[in-house]
Amino acid sequence: MSPDSLPPDIRDTDLAPDVLEPELERTWRTPRGLIGALSTVDHKIIGRRYLVTAFIFLAMGGVLAMLMRLQLARPENRVLPPDLYDQVFTMHGANMMFLFAVPVMEAVAVYLVPLMVGTRNVAFPRLNAFSYWMYLAGGFTLWTAFALDMGPDVGWFAYVPLSGPEYGSGKRADIWAQMITFTEVSAMAVAVEIVVTVLKQRAPGMSLDRIPLFVWSMLVTSFLIIMAMPAIMVASTSLILDRLVGTHFFNPAEGGDVLLWQHLFWFFGHPEVYIVFLPAVGMVSTIIATFTRRPTFGYLALVMALIATGILAFGLWVHHMFATGLPRLGESFFTASSMSIAIPAGVQIFCWLATLWLGRPVYRTPLLFVLAFFVTFVIGGLTGVMVASVPLDTQVHDTYFVVAHFHYVLIGGAVFPLLGAIYYWYPKIVGRMMSERLGRWVVGLLAIGFNLTFFPMHLLGLHGMTRRVYTYQVEMGWGGLNLFVSLSAVLLACGFALFFFDAIRSSWIGEPAGDDPWGGPTLEWSTTSPPPPYNFRHIPIVRSGQPLWDDTETLTVAAGLRVDRRELVVSSVAEALPEAREASPANSIWPLWAAIASTVMLISSIFSPWAVVWGAVPIAVALIGWFWPKGTPEDEA
Amino acid sequence: MRARHLLLAACAFLVACQREQRDLRTDPPVAEALGQVAVMPGGIGGRPAAIDRALGHPYQTNAYQLNQGKRLWDWFNCSGCHAAGGGASGPALTDGSWRYGPDMVSIFVSIRDGRPNGMPAFRGKLTDEQILQLSGYVQAMGAETASTAAPSRNDTMQARASENRAPAAAAFPKQVSR
Repeated sequence: MSPDSLPPDIRDTDLAPDVLEPELERTWRTPRGLIGALSTVDHKIIGRRYLVTAFIFLAMGGVLAMLMRLQLARPENRVLPPDLYDQVFTMHGANMMFLFAVPVMEAVAVYLVPLMVGTRNVAFPRLNAFSYWMYLAGGFTLWTAFALDMGPDVGWFAYVPLSGPEYGSGKRADIWAQMITFTEVSAMAVAVEIVVTVLKQRAPGMSLDRIPLFVWSMLVTSFLIIMAMPAIMVASTSLILDRLVGTHFFNPAEGGDVLLWQHLFWFFGHPEVYIVFLPAVGMVSTIIATFTRRPTFGYLALVMALIATGILAFGLWVHHMFATGLPRLGESFFTASSMSIAIPAGVQIFCWLATLWLGRPVYRTPLLFVLAFFVTFVIGGLTGVMVASVPLDTQVHDTYFVVAHFHYVLIGGAVFPLLGAIYYWYPKIVGRMMSERLGRWVVGLLAIGFNLTFFPMHLLGLHGMTRRVYTYQVEMGWGGLNLFVSLSAVLLACGFALFFFDAIRSSWIGEPAGDDPWGGPTLEWSTTSPPPPYNFRHIPIVRSGQPLWDDTETLTVAAGLRVDRRELVVSSVAEALPEAREASPANSIWPLWAAIASTVMLISSIFSPWAVVWGAVPIAVALIGWFWPKGTPEDEA
Repeated sequence: MRARHLLLAACAFLVACQREQRDLRTDPPVAEALGQVAVMPGGIGGRPAAIDRALGHPYQTNAYQLNQGKRLWDWFNCSGCHAAGGGASGPALTDGSWRYGPDMVSIFVSIRDGRPNGMPAFRGKLTDEQILQLSGYVQAMGAETASTAAPSRNDTMQARASENRAPAAAAFPKQVSR
């Protein structure tokens, strides 16, 4: 293309600082109004929506949990009829795993990763918008179905044959399976964005050994998502096919295999646990570094532990299936691999302890959450080692012991760090501080309420109380502990309610935060709170792992980017040497249309296979609109 | 976005209604009233029980009830005579031809009281509600167009396409006319 046909080319070096910011704002902003809101591709706006939506689902799933505790508070209780109870525990599990745990971690990543690596938007921003709409539609599908007495009732794992065509009557299991499709499409989309953002859009100089640990953890998590989610999509699609058009994937009489379901499900399901946990590892490492005022001890060891956990995650799914009658050698192998996960977990814990030991800890709310995490997560890890052994597992399989174990690792291991992270990054996202006084109450209520609620469940499990029972007889002798658990759950619920209260209240009347309230070391604290649409006036140049601590006076920046169109720096994978100026897509309404078209197709295909054929037409139209060539020149190196 | 939610909710509501409702224990008065069908003289045709109408004909439209009917079909070995609906020593139930009428009351009476030439009476072996479940299923297996509430295949060797893949007659390449 000849130079004179190029559009006007305004660089940031051409403009004075006071002109530069309004110009960047004009290029990157999200227009006001409904259309603007629906077509935005700003990772901060989408990340914020993701966060709010995920926390709404957390609250709704919490209400379901309280309903279950109400039903189980005394023997032979009649609050929830058995059929509704089945739906409630399935909704609780599916909602918490697919609509809260995974998306909320992605939400934090969508918001923070571009800020932490010093770029202006995620890679594939329109895909990011699409992923949020798909997630919202999936959640809406599940909850609408539940409201219509059509909620899934087969457990969050939906084992065949219970969920299969013969026993899973109606469309309840299909709703579950299709909700999986929605959330997995969105999760895969975000994972791809994060991988590309981290590998190709880092600020110049941020070589692999200078990537913040939270970004490392999200990179590993994203690879886990990319490798684990296809298994569950294959499984759920096969299930819908079995149920709707009568294929025989899971029908042993026609050459299918029931256990195939469990293998496919847990080949996803176990890495899923680490998809939820590894971001928490990153959050803990970040919080500890900031509040001990020193770099995290053992950066390399922590990164290696993250990667090791990620790899091991794919080698131990069978420990969920010890009760299915596997060959002895298989059981031994998977016991060994399950126990070996304790090695990287131990490395992480000791690195964090060393950081605390060597630094000067400032005990603010985020760090208190981390301390609560230590205790709770270690207990969960110890019971994890216990259930990794086949003899004990066959005894406690499907009892409340397992319920206690996985709530310890999920709430203790992921939700506590997540809430700490919310307290930590809230000022960056909202521009105001959350209340320190309320925050201490939240930590206390949650830590005490949680342990009082879930620790007795170990005992109930050892006494033989099975999971998923909607009631129990007086003679079983479980009434006292169950009542105690239910009362403690009220304490736990109060903790969460106080957290929500604090988060909402602080967005109105919280103390203004300033750019860097905690004195954090990473790049997100170098911009304003909340960040402008273009994130950074100039792309920073990174010369250490803690740029804000080591370059105290001024941060070196890169210049020469265009301001009349969205442009960011693409850098090399290992050394983050700048390679090119890359155009970043502008706002577009088409991802929303594509998501609506996909939603119509996916929901209709529960009812008729022809929906896949006719539903593909509007999707194709939406995708053509999405990818319509713009006639802008390709990116310049 | 709100419009989309309304649309979605409307779609979901239209297809759902009570098709998924599942009462694991029918109230005894309701169960009692379910058997009160008014049968025409001659034992063919009649008026369904008032309670069945009041409930919205759940035994024909509710996915769970139809599925229960399918299980009863297996448990009571209906295939022993009717095969998988294609007919053997008993008549076919999927060819659109009904000796004693295609309506729910006629099928209900056929099962409850039996019919000449070999159809046994299941009165006393099945409750009225179970007979209604079975009747609804028998109707569904012979339906020209499948309802979305119709059951899917069983985890067994397949003798025919499942009930939700209507038309039923097409499930059998060759009809045995009896």
